[in-house]
Amino acid sequence: MTILSHTKRLTLAAALLGSTVAAGFAEDYTITVWSGGTGDSSNYRIDNIKLAAEQLMREAEIRGEELNITIEGQAWSGWDEFKQAVTLAAESGDAPDIIVSGHEDLGPWSQAGILRPVEDWVYLDQWPLNDIYPNLIDVATYNGVVWGIPQDAEARVMYWNKEAFAAIGWSDADIDALPQRVIDGDYTLYNMLDDVYAMQEVEAVAPGQGFMPRVSNGPDYWQFYQSFGGEMTDAETGKLLLDTQALTGFYQFFTDAVAKGVLPESYLGGNWDDWHRAVSGLTAGAWHGGSWHYAQWTRTFEMENFFDNVQFTLIPAGNEDGRANSITHPLVYLMGAGNTEGEAQVAADLISIASEPRLNAMHAVKSGHLAISAAEVSVPLYAEDRWLTEASEGFLPYVNAIPNDADFGTYWTAMYKGLENAWTGTMSVEDAVETVKADVTSALGDKIIVK
Amino acid sequence: MNVRALTDGAPEGTAVAVPSSPVPPASTPTQRRKGKPRGKPRVSLLGLAMLAPSLLLLCIFFFAPAIFTGVFAFTNMSTSTGIGKGDWMVTPVLLRELWDQGLTEAEEQAISAATYVVDAEHIARAEAGGVDARFLSDIEARLSGETYEDARAFQRDLRALPSKPRSARALKGAADHFASSVLNRRYATEAAFAEALTGVAPDLSPETLSHVTERAYTGAVFTVENFVTLATRRDTLRIVGNTFLYVGLTLCFNVGVGLFLALSTFYLPKRTGSLFSALWLLPRITPVVLYATLWQWFTWENGFLYVIADTLGLPAYNYMKAGVTSAWAIMILSNGFVGASFGMILFSGALRAIPIQQLWASEVDGASRWQQIRRIILPQLRWPVLFVTAYQTLSLLSSYELIWLTTDGGPGTTTTVWALDAFKTALWAYSGEFKYGLGAAMALILVVVGLTLSIAYLILFKFDDLVGRPKIEF
Repeated sequence: MTILSHTKRLTLAAALLGSTVAAGFAEDYTITVWSGGTGDSSNYRIDNIKLAAEQLMREAEIRGEELNITIEGQAWSGWDEFKQAVTLAAESGDAPDIIVSGHEDLGPWSQAGILRPVEDWVYLDQWPLNDIYPNLIDVATYNGVVWGIPQDAEARVMYWNKEAFAAIGWSDADIDALPQRVIDGDYTLYNMLDDVYAMQEVEAVAPGQGFMPRVSNGPDYWQFYQSFGGEMTDAETGKLLLDTQALTGFYQFFTDAVAKGVLPESYLGGNWDDWHRAVSGLTAGAWHGGSWHYAQWTRTFEMENFFDNVQFTLIPAGNEDGRANSITHPLVYLMGAGNTEGEAQVAADLISIASEPRLNAMHAVKSGHLAISAAEVSVPLYAEDRWLTEASEGFLPYVNAIPNDADFGTYWTAMYKGLENAWTGTMSVEDAVETVKADVTSALGDKIIVK
Repeated sequence: MNVRALTDGAPEGTAVAVPSSPVPPASTPTQRRKGKPRGKPRVSLLGLAMLAPSLLLLCIFFFAPAIFTGVFAFTNMSTSTGIGKGDWMVTPVLLRELWDQGLTEAEEQAISAATYVVDAEHIARAEAGGVDARFLSDIEARLSGETYEDARAFQRDLRALPSKPRSARALKGAADHFASSVLNRRYATEAAFAEALTGVAPDLSPETLSHVTERAYTGAVFTVENFVTLATRRDTLRIVGNTFLYVGLTLCFNVGVGLFLALSTFYLPKRTGSLFSALWLLPRITPVVLYATLWQWFTWENGFLYVIADTLGLPAYNYMKAGVTSAWAIMILSNGFVGASFGMILFSGALRAIPIQQLWASEVDGASRWQQIRRIILPQLRWPVLFVTAYQTLSLLSSYELIWLTTDGGPGTTTTVWALDAFKTALWAYSGEFKYGLGAAMALILVVVGLTLSIAYLILFKFDDLVGRPKIEF
């Protein structure tokens, strides 16, 4: 009895000691994830990190470690407020552990020291990261350092109202041939203006809604600069490049559209929901948007029979100097600086797991974004999606991205301000171009080539 | 609170005479004529203690921001430079810029060289840096004498070692101890950077070393460039014009409607007048976001005005966003209604202070309402009108939140005013490029304009007379 009691006591002590030791080894982490431009359909930008945490904790358990991860996610639907929040939080030493943002932020944020380079924390040549398309990894690279892991890809394209085309006498065969004519440069932006004007004339579309571009600033507008032969960077030196002739063509096109009455002078700054309702309700002739808008129109705005009603192409060339094009604006998973090494390692592991094909495919299909890796394209959920398959095949070979450059933001802000000035008639096209030229030259000096 | 009143030390504990004080002590006029007692002022500790919290708040919320704005205005601070002290770092982009400015190929190659050498010295450095001993002994045994020009090649060899650490970070951290490179590395001090740079490129001339060090600084530097930019920028004049137009028109609306409301409610029966006054206070007491949303419902597509206009066959569109004239009207009216209620309160108070006997007397003399207003009321409302004008000018100059929430400065930049532009420059940009320095310079100009106007108003309105002692002694 005494022996048994003694044994019991010893066992109890050992159990207590054991649990104390185990508790001592337990690691608890709270990982914050902030995601910009993230609406209802792109919840998997954060939810995939949550799923990855679950996976990582189970893997730790199998290794005999106790790892507890809590994910605190926060989504911003817009960009301005998100970038303000991230920047100011980081400057006050409270950056989120994982940031989901546009790749163009790599330049300024890495220079300001608010990011950790992701390549220091992961093996890029290990699965699943080694399966990510190399051009997307390039987009996440700045100064020769891979700062982020691509989270999605996309194309920004032109959509066309098939019924309105039929109303001005286009046959089905004509409409089917449009994508190739756009690629060949045989159908230009000015052809579009004529056609949407005709659609308005026969009342196939609402007055002033012949052409409905994006209502606010976005990488999309650089597409029209490219349509008139503009390049954002100089291929030889890698410096930013302002092509005044292309910028003039781009601004002139929008003022011509206003003059033709297919686009209101005071269009910019309009309401996004109104825009979605108009284009998904097919009251517009042609409009441009992102590949992900398909998901919004079909899920939120109850658009039916998309493929029967809408044709989609690259953004047409504007003149013989330009080319049909499309911009991809991949978001990237970035690692905020200022946390502990342990938190950073967990964040890096979570990003890796969240980039696995099945997880990323959920984001792609639900939000209308394109795959980041070859394996993801084969995931049945993705492969069965007609829109993603057609968009991937039709546009990905032609897409390019805006440059990663710490000073690109200054150039971008000046470009959009110039567009607003020309579009609203506040300035003539020449004055608007001169203003952009003066602004970027004074702000960037010889960091930008003006031609 | 008047600091002088607390430190003057009025003799024998008598109160300092306040003009409106109904029964001042009898001795006060005599002492006032004699002037202040000379000598060391008596400082009341209790008074200072009571002042302390307000002084502290004043320092935190007024002086500190004003000083920061003043300092930031003379820097190139932006998202890229970050706020606060920067580091020193050479990047490929910087090297390209330096190349443009005359850096030779040999210098460029020396600075950008990255070599990884496995020798006794570097192994000792790694050991001191805390790299795992077993891993180090593997490195020593298998890679001694190797030199790598590429980080990835060295890391690949390290990963082939049996005792490699599991985490990528630990392995790459260990590799760093074998590196001789300054490329893409941040140094917290100038001395550390210069030492590292000299280590990899010992042949750099002192001038080149100093130039590279200066350019390698990632933080903000002092400059007057912001003011040059503002002076030469093409849209500065337009935004200044917008600002003057906005302040001028809104001010006219504020004061005019405020005065009209005060007068009309004054002549209404008291209960009805109070009800109307309360209704007109709604724009002021409604939270600004809700107030802006109400304007949106009122003026956007399918909103109240839109539906009415559509029914009547008038042009119906999003009046707030899609028309320059309508956007201006909305900007002035939405801000004007808030200001009008402020004027109304002040003018109503001032109206009640006019001795009613004067109005009775004028009625006996057969004066009409208009004559009463023109000859009796308005002359006595001079001070409130001037005060509201001065206060609202300053307030409108620096306000942007309602414009931001309604027209957002658009269509295009047609309703953008200086304060909104300053805010957007510093803290609100789609591209994420916040120019804190330029925004602060714009804010500083606003502060200077505000101060100048305040002084001008004080002189113009003879402020000394307003707060001076009454000419009649009771």
